[in-house]
Amino acid sequence: MTTDLNQFPQLDKTKFEQRGIQLEIGVPVTCAVSIGNNIAAGFGDGTIRIFSSGEKHKTLKVHKGVILCMAKDGDNILTGGDDGYFLKISLNGEINEITNFGSRWVDHVAAHNGNLVCSSGKVVYYWDKNKKEPKSLNHDSTIGGLVFDAKGRRLAVSRYGGVTIWKKDYSNKWKSTKLDWKGSHNKVSFSPDGKYLVTSMQENVLRCWRLKDKLDFAMSGYGSKVKSFAFIGDTSYLATSGSTDAICWPFDGEGPMGRKPICLPYIGNKQVTFIEPFPDEKAIFAGLSDGSVFLSQIENENNTIIIRSFTGSEVSAIAMTDDKSSIFIGDMNGNTLWTSIWDQ
Amino acid sequence: MTETNKQVPVTVLTGFLGAGKTTLLNRILTEQHGQKYAVIVNEFGEQGIDNDLVVDADEEVFEMNNGCICCTVRGDLIRILSGLMKRADKLDAIIVETTGLADPAPVAQTFFVDQDVANKTKLDAIVTVADAVHLSSQIEDHHEAEEQIAFGDVILLNKIDLVKDENIDVVTKRIRKINPFAKIIKTTKCGAPLKEILNLDAFSLKRILEVEPDFLESDHDHEHDDDVTSLSFVSDTPLDMEKFQNWFGKLLQTKGQDIMRTKGILDFKGENDRYVFQGVHMLMDASPMGKWPENKERSSRLVFIGRNLDTMNLKEGFEACKSE
Repeated sequence: MTTDLNQFPQLDKTKFEQRGIQLEIGVPVTCAVSIGNNIAAGFGDGTIRIFSSGEKHKTLKVHKGVILCMAKDGDNILTGGDDGYFLKISLNGEINEITNFGSRWVDHVAAHNGNLVCSSGKVVYYWDKNKKEPKSLNHDSTIGGLVFDAKGRRLAVSRYGGVTIWKKDYSNKWKSTKLDWKGSHNKVSFSPDGKYLVTSMQENVLRCWRLKDKLDFAMSGYGSKVKSFAFIGDTSYLATSGSTDAICWPFDGEGPMGRKPICLPYIGNKQVTFIEPFPDEKAIFAGLSDGSVFLSQIENENNTIIIRSFTGSEVSAIAMTDDKSSIFIGDMNGNTLWTSIWDQ
Repeated sequence: MTETNKQVPVTVLTGFLGAGKTTLLNRILTEQHGQKYAVIVNEFGEQGIDNDLVVDADEEVFEMNNGCICCTVRGDLIRILSGLMKRADKLDAIIVETTGLADPAPVAQTFFVDQDVANKTKLDAIVTVADAVHLSSQIEDHHEAEEQIAFGDVILLNKIDLVKDENIDVVTKRIRKINPFAKIIKTTKCGAPLKEILNLDAFSLKRILEVEPDFLESDHDHEHDDDVTSLSFVSDTPLDMEKFQNWFGKLLQTKGQDIMRTKGILDFKGENDRYVFQGVHMLMDASPMGKWPENKERSSRLVFIGRNLDTMNLKEGFEACKSE
């Protein structure tokens, strides 16, 4: 027998847990987004819950099965489900069906300035805000992720073998360029300045392209799949999950090539499973495989505070309200925390 | 991992077009069994099955960038299994149908290679539905039919009502020659009890100790070189662990594409435990599995199923691992 103190859950509640609202919903939390000063969270039973400060949360049943993905579209919530529906939901609970693919899943959704996209299988559907019928953008393999750049001019779609970047030309026709790298690419993101594109791959590695010259490189050394990553600040860091530390790659100057990342360690030797930036600060929320969540300053590893303690289930969603006053945390067993960040 | 949730068993269902896969799937979905099963089907499957728990998939095979040249996995499965694991209602089992012509190996390899899939689900068994009327000619004409037999843990020899008894014996012998350890169940309309098809735990190393393959029945003569056959070896002399690891590791590395499945129980000199292993192509799972039973002779047994086995000097390689 060995005595590993980290095996024992921390029994003391954090101050955030004490003043916040904790729920045990018993169904996996699959996604969460901020809509103004509210948070919408999606669950594995097809419900969404909307958390607003000072009010009891609202529960809406919107899909028949799992809510696979979520995005914000102005004041509305977009959801895609394994029931094949792509829905737009208002904060008041009004549900509008955008489309329905039957037994095909809606795997990814995104929006920019009223233009909507979703993917189902190998096809991305794009709804111009002025048009009713979507434009289909076809790919040779299933789509692993999609994202608009900050200005909404380019849409990056990851898939097997690389990324396709779609852009409308002057005559309003869709043109695509391809970035190739063998393997399966999942989550995809532009850097905030639009200079880099990053994907997480099936292998425990990230692929990055510098877009001006298509120079590509890997960020590797992870112990598990990198399921979550986010750019922090004005492209100063890329913070990533997939290790027992939150790994933060420097993207200032000439980028991360030949430079070492900052590694933020956490107690208990658990994998980081979710990363959410603290807007306008060089700081991140890191969610771990045991359910705990920490807030860390990237350039000062001693400045880490615990937000939520052990629950025994991997953190699968973290979202902060736009006014940076409150956060929502959810895990795969459906334990949620909704709390204000600041001491009163 | 602190995750103690039970892994959901996944059955891979394979077999040639028209053999009866859809009949079996319909039984699994409609029979009153009190279990919740999800079925992943291919859109080019034989016919549509309408049910909430049926998921459409495109079979998408890609190569892993892990230095292992023949390590192909099913990307669509990784995506769908991780989606199914987010469901509110827990599934008792998942069945993956592969199209008639597909090689089942990438499906099996997905469970060895992807960490999330391996944490939450486990490969239960490969079930091959074979058409007793047409199997012999299909094996001659399509290498996929032969491979499906080679990979199977269970083979449902279906439509036996349409075949004379002596022909059933011929087909059974043909199957045995390719795959000595599969369990053969003879059926009409895939009418076997579901408990003989699902939740078998055929990939657990413990099960290998329980199933005695027909080691001696597999003879080695065959008609042409690219036939899938099996070879088995037995030794009462303990093996040298280092020699065995060197030989076997190199063998899988260089010939892993031709070696489809391996299983074995090994007696190493100086070790008290039985070593059990099983592999699909060059991926292998091995572990000591407790002491040898006292009333049983210690011996090493090894089975290979694959192509071109006679060119790999397996006998010589195995003999050279003996400790004396």
